[in-house]
Amino acid sequence: MDTRFSAYDNKPWLAAYGSSISQTLPPARHPNLGHLVHSACQRFAEQTAFTCVVPNGMNGSLSYRQLADASDAFAAYLRIDCKLEAGDRVAVQLPNGLAYPVVAFGVFKAGCVLVNTNPLYTASEMLHQFNDSGAKVLVIVDMFADKLAAVVPQSKITHVVLAAVSEMFPALPNLIVRGVQKVWSKVLPPIPALAVPVLRLSAALAAGTASAKATPGVVQTYWRGVAASDVAALQYTGGTTGVSKAAMLTHANFLANIEQVLAMGRSHMGSNECVLTALPLYHIFAFVANLLCFVEIGARNILVPSPRPVQNLQRAIENYPITWITGVNTLFNGLMNEEWFTAFPPKHLKAAIAGGTALHSAVAARWQSITGTRVAEGFGLTECSPVVTFNPLSGVAKPDSIGIPVPGTGVRLVQDDGQPAAVGEPGELIVQGPQTMAGYWNRADETAIVQKDGWLYTGDVAVMDAQGYFRIVDRKKDLVLVSGFNVYPNEVEDALSKMGAILEAAVVGIPDPRSGEGVRAYVVKNPDFEGELTAAAVIAHCKSLLTDYKIPKSVVFRAELPKTPVGKILRKDLKAEVKTEFAAR
Amino acid sequence: MLTPLETTLLGIMMMVIMLGMGASLTFRDFLIAFKKPKGVLVGLLCQFGIMPFLGYLLAVVLGLPPALAVGLILMGCMPGGTTSNIFTYFSKGVLALSIMMTSVSTLCAVVFVPALIAFYSKLAGVTGEFAIPAANVAQVLVVLLVPTVIGMVLRKANPNVGATVELIGSMLGIFVILFLIVSWVPRNYQLLLSTPWYVFFAAIGLGLFGMVLGYFLSRAVRQDLNRSRTISLETGIQNGPLAVLIVTLTFTGEMQQQVLLVPVLYSLFIVLSSSAVTVWYRSMATREALARDAAKVATA
Repeated sequence: MDTRFSAYDNKPWLAAYGSSISQTLPPARHPNLGHLVHSACQRFAEQTAFTCVVPNGMNGSLSYRQLADASDAFAAYLRIDCKLEAGDRVAVQLPNGLAYPVVAFGVFKAGCVLVNTNPLYTASEMLHQFNDSGAKVLVIVDMFADKLAAVVPQSKITHVVLAAVSEMFPALPNLIVRGVQKVWSKVLPPIPALAVPVLRLSAALAAGTASAKATPGVVQTYWRGVAASDVAALQYTGGTTGVSKAAMLTHANFLANIEQVLAMGRSHMGSNECVLTALPLYHIFAFVANLLCFVEIGARNILVPSPRPVQNLQRAIENYPITWITGVNTLFNGLMNEEWFTAFPPKHLKAAIAGGTALHSAVAARWQSITGTRVAEGFGLTECSPVVTFNPLSGVAKPDSIGIPVPGTGVRLVQDDGQPAAVGEPGELIVQGPQTMAGYWNRADETAIVQKDGWLYTGDVAVMDAQGYFRIVDRKKDLVLVSGFNVYPNEVEDALSKMGAILEAAVVGIPDPRSGEGVRAYVVKNPDFEGELTAAAVIAHCKSLLTDYKIPKSVVFRAELPKTPVGKILRKDLKAEVKTEFAAR
Repeated sequence: MLTPLETTLLGIMMMVIMLGMGASLTFRDFLIAFKKPKGVLVGLLCQFGIMPFLGYLLAVVLGLPPALAVGLILMGCMPGGTTSNIFTYFSKGVLALSIMMTSVSTLCAVVFVPALIAFYSKLAGVTGEFAIPAANVAQVLVVLLVPTVIGMVLRKANPNVGATVELIGSMLGIFVILFLIVSWVPRNYQLLLSTPWYVFFAAIGLGLFGMVLGYFLSRAVRQDLNRSRTISLETGIQNGPLAVLIVTLTFTGEMQQQVLLVPVLYSLFIVLSSSAVTVWYRSMATREALARDAAKVATA
């Protein structure tokens, strides 16, 4: 053992586990995800598994029994009608809705590999993802069927299945929602003619049910043969380096992460939980935290197809006894700017879970005072399926901290030269544990960059305090090097966000002839601020909070900042702008 | 004039519209409105302060004869129309505020409307046969509260039924106006042709001036741009079908025909003018709506 890292390898955070969190990771309860779904559906058959709520309050639900039947039917459709083999890839491009769990669980039960795809992707992004993964079946929301013509002929896709946002709703609400989509908001394009078969999900399920009838119990034979080490999902990531690549996440990865998340939260979870799923399920955070973890404990998932504008959540929050909410900073922030939410926060709420991007301490504090519950921030990344650290729900939660590593996880902070970072000093966070991916799909070179000596390099710079709580300082590659000094954009952004006239800000480096790099702030003015906001005022504000080399040399005003679907600010887009801007000079 | 069958039909449709309005509401909404009453109070001020006075002022300045004057004053005294919620939706306004203003003004209408009609009619010198009995108005409004409450209960009991009723109710709001166009205009095109310009001016102006004044009053009491636009639409858009119903229940024959002219003209033209205003507001709101969505916690 490498004793240099004993400060980390002694796991000082174990003391913070207290009595409610298991010191070691219990073994997985299921051999694979197909078994997990099958078992949950048997144990909780009569309970409601999913309810999808559209903005006007119309809704449809699936019980665990219905979920079992429908996902079995879809598994049979994939294996019999589409003639897929175990390990074949199925691309799923759906917003939150009842179709999503049916299809995703059907893929697992079929022993196939799930390729989660953002429904808002452009044709070229879709094509890259489908061809890179070699997807043979595509399940897509009908709202974006118009993109099929440009994508399907150039891919290996042999079957297309269309699902509606109001899929599996009762007849009248379904008719009204589809009517409104078609006539009112005109978001249902005509289905292009394709050389491959295109089926509605209901027809695919009917076909699967009919095909499976010949051999009762055939679906169980598909997933019973799946090994824990088999890949369960190709989860695309790495928009940050430009090339989108897939993390191979195995059944064992997911099963371990489910146990890890439940270990942190189980003491607060009963048998009648109701979780609000406003974040998209195709994203790894909601996929594991909301979908897999809460299905394992028999909870009810309230699915919201689109959380923007945040008003869309009102009926879902009013009409159901929400006990858990998962979200990102922007979602919590948005909710607290709604009168209906602050006047009547969900009264059954136990806790909120934050991830995806840094949670501002001001947002966390206000959430606590409005809802009376804690918002626990965690940290994760696609490559770790995703959860690495989490704030304990009882005991000490530290503001601005991403908490402590989950059971069974080793974390170290290393400096650029490979030496350990001293306690309290920044270093790159590296992870070892059962949740780390099997590697990048078909990209051994990229895998070698992030997986070294059994550790996964996250590219995030963090510091650990004496109690073993971690705090993210910034992305390693977002560091701005000013005259040899490290400037962490997060720190400057934090300072900027303390200025009332600023709504939000992003900081990147720009080339500077004297200091090598300089700090540039992209700033969005707060619409509530009356009066003019000048660069000089922004810089003067920063001077009151930051040392000289951290102060922005250049301030650019924007109407909005580029963001990912979950609300992370995309610094890479701004960096790309800077690059073109300075290349032209 | 409208036939008894049409009057009955109008009454039934009003019931369904109010059922739909009820289904768009929760009891919590009222509690919120009472907790933070400023927006709703400003709305009420516009609704029952500006609009009735505007109706009266236009009637006096344009020297309208009693039948038209009472129609215009009645129109000005009406609570907010449920169609304003649709226009607010399309203009990306604050939908909750619009729904709240419509509901609260409809509730308050039971007290305010009969009193205001009596006050301004008297002020304008409308008396005798053209005066609308306050009891009549109050009665209609109280009867309409019943479907509103049923709508609220429906929504709480079953969100799917509630949302369906809400949708049917708001579509019926547009349908009633189409119904008026189809049933009333062809039979009265002679009357329309002989109607002098200032009557059109009064019917159209009531809505437009109402929107302008509503906007500036809201800005004056420091409501933000988006709320001001919402209040503006809400102020200008009155419950036209309700006015038509009250007229048909109060007057008969030739008198009904005359008094009906302004409410019907108003109802026809408000659809056009608020559509135009909505398009304009929408373009203004697009940027601000995005910002509101991401608005941050105020820093200490």
